[in-house]
Amino acid sequence: MTNKFYTIPLFLTIFSIIIIGISLQLDTSPEMIVGDSMQARSFPIFLMILNLILISVLTFQYKKNNPEPIKLEKFPTWGSMGLFFIFYLLTVYTDMFIGIFVVMLLMGLLWGEKRIWVSFLTATLTPLFIFLLFDFVLKIRFPRGILMDMYYG
Amino acid sequence: MFEQALLAMASVATDPYLLFLIFVTTILGVVIGVLPGLGATTGAALLLPFTLTMDPVHAIAVLATIYVSATFAGSITAILINTPGTSAAAATTFDGYPLAQKGEAGRALGVAVISSTVGGVFSVIVLCFAAPLLARVAYEFRSPEYFALTVFGLSMLASISAGGAVKNLIGGIFGVWLSTIGAERVTGIERFMFGNYELYEGLHFVPIFIGLFAISELLVQSKTVNKIVNTVSMKAVKLPTKEDYKKIWKTILRSCGIGTFIGVLPAEGATVASMIGYSEARRWSKNKDEFGKGAIEGIAGAEAANNSATGGAMVPTMVLGIPGSGTTAIILVGLMVHGLRPGVYLFTEQVEKVYQIFGSMFFANIMFMLMGLYAAKIFARVSLVPTAILWPIVFGLSVIGAYAFQGQLLDVWLALIFGVIGFFARRHGFSVAPIAVGLILGEMVETNLQHSLKMFDGAWWMIFTQPLALMFLVFAFLGLCGPYIYSLITKRK
Repeated sequence: MTNKFYTIPLFLTIFSIIIIGISLQLDTSPEMIVGDSMQARSFPIFLMILNLILISVLTFQYKKNNPEPIKLEKFPTWGSMGLFFIFYLLTVYTDMFIGIFVVMLLMGLLWGEKRIWVSFLTATLTPLFIFLLFDFVLKIRFPRGILMDMYYG
Repeated sequence: MFEQALLAMASVATDPYLLFLIFVTTILGVVIGVLPGLGATTGAALLLPFTLTMDPVHAIAVLATIYVSATFAGSITAILINTPGTSAAAATTFDGYPLAQKGEAGRALGVAVISSTVGGVFSVIVLCFAAPLLARVAYEFRSPEYFALTVFGLSMLASISAGGAVKNLIGGIFGVWLSTIGAERVTGIERFMFGNYELYEGLHFVPIFIGLFAISELLVQSKTVNKIVNTVSMKAVKLPTKEDYKKIWKTILRSCGIGTFIGVLPAEGATVASMIGYSEARRWSKNKDEFGKGAIEGIAGAEAANNSATGGAMVPTMVLGIPGSGTTAIILVGLMVHGLRPGVYLFTEQVEKVYQIFGSMFFANIMFMLMGLYAAKIFARVSLVPTAILWPIVFGLSVIGAYAFQGQLLDVWLALIFGVIGFFARRHGFSVAPIAVGLILGEMVETNLQHSLKMFDGAWWMIFTQPLALMFLVFAFLGLCGPYIYSLITKRK
């Protein structure tokens, strides 16, 4: 994958401009509260202006040094990010621990573990151990879902 | 002061539970340190949620132990498999691995263990004396001084970890901007919340740090799937001989000073210290040609420097609330979560707790020395755990740890989102540590600027009339522009 030198600076510039735009729409406080200090919008705007200055320096550096193109990552990387989304869906619609089990199992296989039973054991025992530790020792309640409803009643 | 330090050491030595915690955490820290990719920062981020219900001293002792033991342990894999477990051990590979290839892995590890322990203990002693003295100076600080100090801390981001100065500063500013999310503290105006009231009090550090350090590292490690590792066999760790000590004692002492000094500088850390420790060892050595081929001075120089930086980095963290590295940023969060407000207050109101933490670091150094001497071979095997097993476990720990902090699913989503952001940032050469440090310092910068403006009736330039504030701002300017001005001058000559 080839990277144009301006891709990253352009992305960062758009981000900074959006933040400045949103900041300008923030409410202002009455003078008697703010006094001689600054409005809530001032600080983020100041930061983004600083950012824009640094981005211009970065653009200059990129143009001068011409950064090497970054190779596109292989499937395990993008697949792992996809698994995060699957985790989100499973947590919202079933149970967080089902999400952790499925993602751990699939991640192990995706990363090249050929012994399914090893991945299965890792995906089962790790969340179980962590659950027991957090539930019994640290007294933390987990979000309700299919499994937690059965456990908490 | 000396009496208090000794009493606190004694209280640690007579607290069996604390000693047990330090022992277990040292093992964990060494395991984390030898696993390539994990390291002290990721380890501390993953462990932070587990410390939530602990007593404050025990919690910070756990995090500090992880810090010192993982920093040391990186050298085990650096020497045996030419893969530094932590970035701070990168300089150890230069001579450690060549010496191991010559069949002297045990000797290389022995030198690394002794140098690391001396470095670590030295820095704890310095910490015991320097931190209270600096706290007395900090007692004079008001808002303008704190504002200038945080600006100085942010300027030092230019040289933190990997990535160029400009990229690090952009990362730092992004981190500071993240700290503005939520209700503004003076006026209560909601900023960048987009109707999400769970963000009213702002972004919490724990899930963000888990995302930036642990999840992003997981995605980075997914690129190294199926990487083949070459190992060097070793019978046992050998303590350095009299001849070895004669060769390295000066190097160790020099590196202790360098490492502690570099550690004290805000936003500098063990990695920079080890590199400078190594290059200074080479510069002062009579056998420069041996460097890169297995010189024990090279190992001693790097290892004494990186471990002495750990104690040094705790000085600005605990006294000024300015973290010296990604790991100390997490320790700082640990302090805040447990109600230990870093700064003068900590050294006046809760001084015994401070010394107990220092004492824990001392015992952690002794424990990792024993483990390094007697169990390095076993720990080295841990590094061969397949990534396909290790990183799914890290995923499980990360999401549950992020949830456990406040019992909110939003924190889990934030950890995952910031994991992806951290991955893309690193993919394009931006380091995530400046984002973390910026996030921590952000609130301090804005609040102290607001207070300073109120103090001076809106006349911001009055900040420059405060001598200490001016000094920090000059340091910040020199830190940022000094190298460019210097290169311009030398080019003209």
